[in-house]
Amino acid sequence: MTRARPLLGTIVEITALSSERSLCFAAINHAFESIEKIQRKLSFHDRSSLLSEINLHAADRPVELDSQTFSLLRTAHELYMVTSGIFDITIAPQLESNGFLPKSSHVNYQRSFADIDLSTEGCVRFRRKGVRIDLGGIAKGLAVADAVASLRTMGVKAGCVNAGGDLEVFGDCMLPVRIRDPRRRGDYVATIPIKNLAVATSGHYFANRIHPSATVGPFVDPRTSLLSSAAQSVTVVAPDPVYADALTKVVIIDPETAATVLPRFDAAALMIDYMGTVFCTPNWHASIQAA
Amino acid sequence: MNKWIPFTAVPIALAGSVTPGFANTYMSVERAQQAIFPGETFTPANVNLTLDQQKTIESRTQTHVRSRELKAWKVSGGAWFLVDEVIGKHEYITYAIGLTATGAVKQIEILDYRETYGYQVEEPGWRQQFVGKTAQSPVKLDEDIRNISGATLSSRHITDGVRRLLATYNVALK
Repeated sequence: MTRARPLLGTIVEITALSSERSLCFAAINHAFESIEKIQRKLSFHDRSSLLSEINLHAADRPVELDSQTFSLLRTAHELYMVTSGIFDITIAPQLESNGFLPKSSHVNYQRSFADIDLSTEGCVRFRRKGVRIDLGGIAKGLAVADAVASLRTMGVKAGCVNAGGDLEVFGDCMLPVRIRDPRRRGDYVATIPIKNLAVATSGHYFANRIHPSATVGPFVDPRTSLLSSAAQSVTVVAPDPVYADALTKVVIIDPETAATVLPRFDAAALMIDYMGTVFCTPNWHASIQAA
Repeated sequence: MNKWIPFTAVPIALAGSVTPGFANTYMSVERAQQAIFPGETFTPANVNLTLDQQKTIESRTQTHVRSRELKAWKVSGGAWFLVDEVIGKHEYITYAIGLTATGAVKQIEILDYRETYGYQVEEPGWRQQFVGKTAQSPVKLDEDIRNISGATLSSRHITDGVRRLLATYNVALK
């Protein structure tokens, strides 16, 4: 059984593979509820979200977090360290100045994850004013992981959660997944068989803004504050959807560094560069076949 | 060793093939009714909006009312169940929405999602490829591929549709 709802700004599709229809139905409900919870908690746009509370108050006082959010920030920190700052959730101000997030009064390009203090378990604190975080590069991955966990808890042994292109196939089933071709709408670069693996794709295709110098997507290199333009579409496969989601952004910003980071997370990537050439990491085919 | 290499498709990949539009059907209207309002009964209560009502809804929501006929059901207990369609540049989405007796959104379920691209329909070969296909043919394979990984599909059209239906509730159902 497959159902879909509009969530996380996209269309989230949940498949539960079981012959027991009532089990599928209840489990999918449960999984949608877990995604709704994450949406309420981590929305950058919703002023009543936990994320907004962090952005408003963490510079003045420690903000208490639930274990899921704290662990997500820890993961974001790990990615920041491992990628030498390419993955940085404090880039929200840069995105705002290019028109991808709502504008607010404090725009500061000189902030990084180094300004975030996670040393107290279950708490976050900003070391300076003007720091703001955006979990857009990682929250969809979390939502997928959490929905899969919900399905499993409810007794679904195999299925798929697809949050607008960030997806995970779990259990004893192989599902073919198509990768969109950014060069031609409605066309596909490849169709890959996926089993027990997460897939995430980031691209410029549906989020373009006209920038004075070029058409740009919502990717900023945190080290330089320059909008990235190395790749037009990147797909990452990895066992964990949170890392798959995050690593697509790392590849888009800096493919060379990303190639050395991906193996740490058992991840492989496919990239279409600005000339339209398709590249992959050497472990791409093996990663898909091994799962 | 950790370098990028040119991508060459392995045989399983249908690299470069132009595929027809993508479509998924998720739920029937009846199942959506039971999903949103389990155990309730439904009485068809379609509404034909007047031209004035249409204009009011359009000016309040800055959306376009494509059809003045609203597919609606009265739910036991005073709630409403509506079925609506939104059309984007390339996508057609049918969805159901449950409104509580006070007009708040209870739940949304997508019934049907279709994506088409102009050039595919225009290309003469596109429709031809369906002719004479059997259940084992590649077209069947395409239909089985439900999952697409690509840049995020926007749910903006549904968001606009929901705003339009909430205004419709205030104008015509309340």
